Amino acid sequence: MTMSNLDRRDFLKVLGISGAAATLAGCGHTSIESGVEEVMSYVHPQDFVVPGIGVFYASTCAQCGSGCGIMGKVREGRVLKLEGNPESGISGGKICGLGQAGVQAHYNPDRLRTPMYKGEGGLTPVSWETAHQILEQRLGPNSPLKGEEIAFLTGGVSGHQRVLLENFLETFDSTHHVTYDALSTATGRAASKAILGAEQPLWNIHKARLILSFGNDFLGSGVSPVYMARQYALFRKAPRGTLIQIEPRMTLTGGNADRWYPIKPGTEGILALGIAHDLLQHEEFSRGVPQEILDLVKNYDRDAVSDITGIGSDAVRLIAAQLWNNTPSLVIAGPSVEGHSYGFSNAAAVQLLNVILGNRGQTMEGQAEHPFPQLTPTLGSYHALADLNQKMAAGKTQALLVYGTNPVFTAPSHLPFAESLSNVPFKVAFVTHMDETAGHCDLVLPLLSALEDFGTHVAEYQPDGVEVMLQQPLMEKLYPESKGYGDILLEILKKRKPEAYAAFPDYYSYLKTAMVKAKPVFKVSDSDDHFWEDALRNGLVKWDGKPTSLEARLPALTMPKPAELTTDYPFYFVPSIRPDMRDGRHAYLPWLQESPETMTTVVWDSWVEIHPKTAEAMQIKEGDILQIQSATGSVRAKAYLFPGIQPDTVSMPLGQGHTQLGRFATGVGVNPYKILDPIFDDHTGELAMHATRVALRKTGEHQVVVKDEGPTTFQNGQKLVATLSADQAKLSKEI
Amino acid sequence: MSLSNLIQNWNSFRTRRPYEGQYDDAPYKWAMVIDLDSCIGCNACTVACYAENNLPVVGKERFGKGQAMHWIRIERYWGEGDTMTSEFPDHGAQYLPMLCQQCEAAPCEPVCPVGATHHSPDGLNTQVYNRCVGSRYCSANCPYKVRYFNWWNYPDRAWPNPLELQLNPDVTVRSKGVMEKCTFCMQRLRAGMDKAKTEGRILADGEVLTACAQACPTSAITFGNLADKKSKVARMWKNQQVDLAKDSQEKSEEGIRGYRILEELNTYPSIVYLERVRNLEA
Repeated sequence: MTMSNLDRRDFLKVLGISGAAATLAGCGHTSIESGVEEVMSYVHPQDFVVPGIGVFYASTCAQCGSGCGIMGKVREGRVLKLEGNPESGISGGKICGLGQAGVQAHYNPDRLRTPMYKGEGGLTPVSWETAHQILEQRLGPNSPLKGEEIAFLTGGVSGHQRVLLENFLETFDSTHHVTYDALSTATGRAASKAILGAEQPLWNIHKARLILSFGNDFLGSGVSPVYMARQYALFRKAPRGTLIQIEPRMTLTGGNADRWYPIKPGTEGILALGIAHDLLQHEEFSRGVPQEILDLVKNYDRDAVSDITGIGSDAVRLIAAQLWNNTPSLVIAGPSVEGHSYGFSNAAAVQLLNVILGNRGQTMEGQAEHPFPQLTPTLGSYHALADLNQKMAAGKTQALLVYGTNPVFTAPSHLPFAESLSNVPFKVAFVTHMDETAGHCDLVLPLLSALEDFGTHVAEYQPDGVEVMLQQPLMEKLYPESKGYGDILLEILKKRKPEAYAAFPDYYSYLKTAMVKAKPVFKVSDSDDHFWEDALRNGLVKWDGKPTSLEARLPALTMPKPAELTTDYPFYFVPSIRPDMRDGRHAYLPWLQESPETMTTVVWDSWVEIHPKTAEAMQIKEGDILQIQSATGSVRAKAYLFPGIQPDTVSMPLGQGHTQLGRFATGVGVNPYKILDPIFDDHTGELAMHATRVALRKTGEHQVVVKDEGPTTFQNGQKLVATLSADQAKLSKEI
Repeated sequence: MSLSNLIQNWNSFRTRRPYEGQYDDAPYKWAMVIDLDSCIGCNACTVACYAENNLPVVGKERFGKGQAMHWIRIERYWGEGDTMTSEFPDHGAQYLPMLCQQCEAAPCEPVCPVGATHHSPDGLNTQVYNRCVGSRYCSANCPYKVRYFNWWNYPDRAWPNPLELQLNPDVTVRSKGVMEKCTFCMQRLRAGMDKAKTEGRILADGEVLTACAQACPTSAITFGNLADKKSKVARMWKNQQVDLAKDSQEKSEEGIRGYRILEELNTYPSIVYLERVRNLEA
């Protein structure tokens, strides 16, 4: 290791392990010779490698940000199937459908196989030699770029991928790392931070006697669905907890509710205040509540709330009574609460219930402090993209690097990101698949798949202490011309700052050095090599952090009343998040396209959900092609009659409508992002995704909706899915 | 041959199977319990099945013709009668993971003219691909609609290179003209049973799981050996008072959730479902 020009603090920063809790030993000799590994011939395989027998290797799922530990079944050099890794506190040996489809991301026939460079005839394949020359010329040591002239635009990124990225930017004296998430939860996190002092508290779901969820699809598309599902299973065992879900459109989680209420979009905060009003009648709850809150809540008696929300006053009373009777409870808010111009207040009003009910320390705790803040995930927002877009449009951005995000597809049409891209002289995309954004870039670099690359990941939601998850290749790379994201960045860094990075032949050796250097924090007494091998074998290293306590702040809130619907736009428009497609990045995976969306069972398409009564009044039948018109734009989609929706609301799933993401995604369905109105949260500046209003127009055309359900959606008296009343069930006597 | 086969099969199944104590001396009888109160409808099981069993993706057009090949699917219902009882699904949706019920007296078996579908000694309803001539009688006779016919030669088109590298070498890739269905991950069972046999023992409880049970995030699916009275699945069947060899179950008290779907058709399924529970007061 060349340490001459690098002091110790810098060195730790290079490795991503500086930070408050990092009390590390000095830089002595280690037993690592970076990058020098024993190469074994396949003719002399290790004892456990037997032809015909699959061997499991641990890694980390990169399909979403939950950081589930996975195991890949590898046989004859091929990865065949993914399972959950029982060592992982997050996945606990379980895995979701999206995670399973990671193998199809890896073996996808539309993977990008060579670098592409934009010439006169558009993007054409070039060699890596050329690509490196271009990179060096633009971003190498002689690059004049400084500060905000360079920007790195990513989706959520964590671990050493984040460290390298930010260290890379630092060599340009830049901190211009822009994290964009088309499904940003920034508003909800801000509200949670304001009330509880933590953006994402830990939810002890299994300890809750009652969960009141305002539109949080925690079992489907929430912050850590596999972990939440595991906790939910415990929650449903004796003594069985009750789930009440309130949302304009039934999510997967809503389908599991004991009681589901359709609410007028945007009135969730008012309902929460109405429930608070009922609770605060009792001294037990009102003790210590500031006068401002009591004053605020005063205006929201049951009848007033019922008028605005569409939830009957009896229901408001019943919900409050159940919260009273079932402690501890847990109240959570989701995208349908956040997605309004007053989304922050809406979500804050929901969080207020947790404070009033005393759920802190019971069902809600703060996450453990991370020993290595540099490794924690960056969480995306919309306004970060909007800021970047402004800079790009003004010609301030000279170079843009894009990784793990596709804003040309997901940005609404009032944010002309593709247009702004043309103002940036040099744009690099790091992708496994050519997508809409890469199509607008100058240099497109083919990445290794998540099953071919090394990496570390840190999840946003850390249920049990802190886990640093390791990702390792489960097989040799399929395409010789693809490269690891870390390797590409490291190569540039080696040229820009050789004194810090020249010692690392590749990303693997960098990771290994960084992890081994962090060993003391994980309180492992093994030799360095053992520690590293154990980490790879287990797929993670654990740090025994303890949950922290949450604060309770009761800021003054104002809760606006949503504007009435108008005759021009008589419907609320609610975009729904599919647990498998998410923001649309997974639309190229055929298993997921053919996997029926659970609530509707529709496959390979977009559709618009409309309540049967509304449809009847408008004489709309399933399969009628409707034009969905907002003030911003319109799309056409087939009608699907769906009882789990508030009758003045229509809903469309996000994720389809790609023009460029391989054969399985292109031309399937339409893209509802493009009709979202430019309405933003007052507090956070986030796009208010649930605030758009639309008109429906019948086109007179009709097509069959391709779906899995048969002609009836009822059981017709057969005992298919029987339901037992909870008071009759004898769960405690069951095995 | 086919008619005599048919009659012979029919007789054997209608008169001999199932009977009390049928598996008392057998090492294995594979069975399942699916807890509908834990099932959240997430589709992890269905995708796991595609990955494990080389199920082809058929595309929109063929899916629309009812040619999807999902051996396990999540059915979603809105009511128990023939209409909704209220304007909204007040107590959520009803999710039902539906797969081959591995019936002990399987309606699909006696109608096969060539004996391609038959009963294995460990209680599975198996499909022998290279005997199947594609009459599709079995599918017509299956009340659960969990048999899937290869209308097309999927190896030609369902796995464009290099997707075929993901195919599980332990599972046949089926060609045009044969029927297929859930096997309870026969390849996993076979490998496990062979290994156990080599070691002179029977499989331990939980040693082999089906792909769906292994993936299921809520552990709603319990899989195991009903012949082993100590296995979790056997204890659950007993606890839920479901008897494999009876076509209607007597329960000692109210509130016991176990039932078998369409049991009244005398199919004697090997899957017990546990009723979904809802707090109807909420």
